[in-house]
Amino acid sequence: MLAFKNIKKSFGPKQVLNDVSFDVKAGECFFIIGASGVGKSVLIKHLVGLLACDSGEIWLDGEEISRFDEQQMGPVRKKCAMVFQHATLFDSMTCAENVALPLRKHKDMNAKDALAEAKKRLSVVHMQAFADRYPPELGDGMRKRVAIARALTVDPTYVLFDEPTTSLDPVSARRVDTLIRELCDKLGVTSIVVSHDLSSIFSIADRIVMLYKGKVLKIGTPAEFKATDNGIIQQFINGRAEGPMDL
Amino acid sequence: MTEAVRNPRLHALGAASIELAEIVGGMGVLLARILVRIHKFDGEELVKNLYKMAVKSLPIVAVTALFTGAIMVIQAAVIVKRFNAEGLLGWGAGFGTLREIAPLLTALMISGRVGANNTAELGTMVVTEQIDALRVLAIDPIAFLIVPRFIAILATLVMMTLFADALALFGAAYTGQGLLGVEPMTFFNGLTGGLLDFGDVFNGLFKSFVFALVMALASCHFGLATKGGAPGVGRAVNASVVASAAGIFVLDYLVSFLG
Repeated sequence: MLAFKNIKKSFGPKQVLNDVSFDVKAGECFFIIGASGVGKSVLIKHLVGLLACDSGEIWLDGEEISRFDEQQMGPVRKKCAMVFQHATLFDSMTCAENVALPLRKHKDMNAKDALAEAKKRLSVVHMQAFADRYPPELGDGMRKRVAIARALTVDPTYVLFDEPTTSLDPVSARRVDTLIRELCDKLGVTSIVVSHDLSSIFSIADRIVMLYKGKVLKIGTPAEFKATDNGIIQQFINGRAEGPMDL
Repeated sequence: MTEAVRNPRLHALGAASIELAEIVGGMGVLLARILVRIHKFDGEELVKNLYKMAVKSLPIVAVTALFTGAIMVIQAAVIVKRFNAEGLLGWGAGFGTLREIAPLLTALMISGRVGANNTAELGTMVVTEQIDALRVLAIDPIAFLIVPRFIAILATLVMMTLFADALALFGAAYTGQGLLGVEPMTFFNGLTGGLLDFGDVFNGLFKSFVFALVMALASCHFGLATKGGAPGVGRAVNASVVASAAGIFVLDYLVSFLG
């Protein structure tokens, strides 16, 4: 289980996260939503040690990890994979080499075996035909799918997705949604998804937390979000330009 | 109000000193981090970088070296003719080439081609979060990315200097024949007649090792410290090339005193 407890984070004078607390249950597809700049990506970067909180605690499977150094974060990062907003594949490597890299480093495979395994893993995300292509030659949706395949090579328990459907066409976006849902249902992976894609949120989320002005505004199921009479939440989930939300 | 705030020149001097200390300190810390992980380098990355840095630099180093040797002879031609000192042509060209010109010009060429490229590549990886992606995959970016580049730059510059030494002398010998009618054998005898020895070759190679050290550290340091998207990558490349070139000349001056 994963829990954020009273997380505070500031960048200079700007306080981005102010006493954020919630937990995520094993195997669920948990969405973090909120307007741009509210600190959603900042929050999940704390979990993999890319950022350190000013105060608060992060509990992962019974361990408090918020003060871990780079070396201690190693096992945490093998447990928690992350798919970045812009895929962040290594441009100088082919798709297969991108996926093979963690296999070489963490599964003690030689280059040839790792490449063969990488091609198998790419077939899971329907990208085997593009195994020998370089990331700049692919579209956003294809790169995202390769990034997901790469993230799954270390057999993580948790996968963090930072805006996985942003900049994708609707068909590619729904394919990525299906992939995320399948991770939870078939592999039992806990998915934590940062998004403001309403279609994704209401089609695959088990639970949602909404951040507003650095604080948790509401935690609940998609049905509970739809039923709430909170004006800010209604404005956000209905995508209205006018309303009480202060941007 | 302090004196520094009242005096803008003093303020600028202070700021420049702090910036220089940050750069030198940053490169020192990076060197320590590299040395701690030197045994953990990724073999595949090392081979890839050696090919990209050394093999692909061969044509440009060859052209530079051949013409450098030729230029040495052209400059010496007037004196050699005036004093009929054809026998000293090999020593004159060899002394300057092995100890100074080949290591220096090769370092500047490699700095422009390899160092700048290295900074741009690392800087782009930083601003596109590829370095963060490596960390999240529990792969140490220093061991995986920086150590192989560091070793490859050191090996490349030393090898390229040796290659440039040979080609520059070859260029000098045949320019001497064409321009002054000095037979290549006479040129060769001037080289090996006792006035030059392996100490001169070693002196040049030691210089190239020191130049490579500053170039590798500057290009990796500025690449990893890149901030601010595409303009930031441009600034990092600029800073890396300037720091490498300045470092090469300053160290050349200092190492030349060693004999």
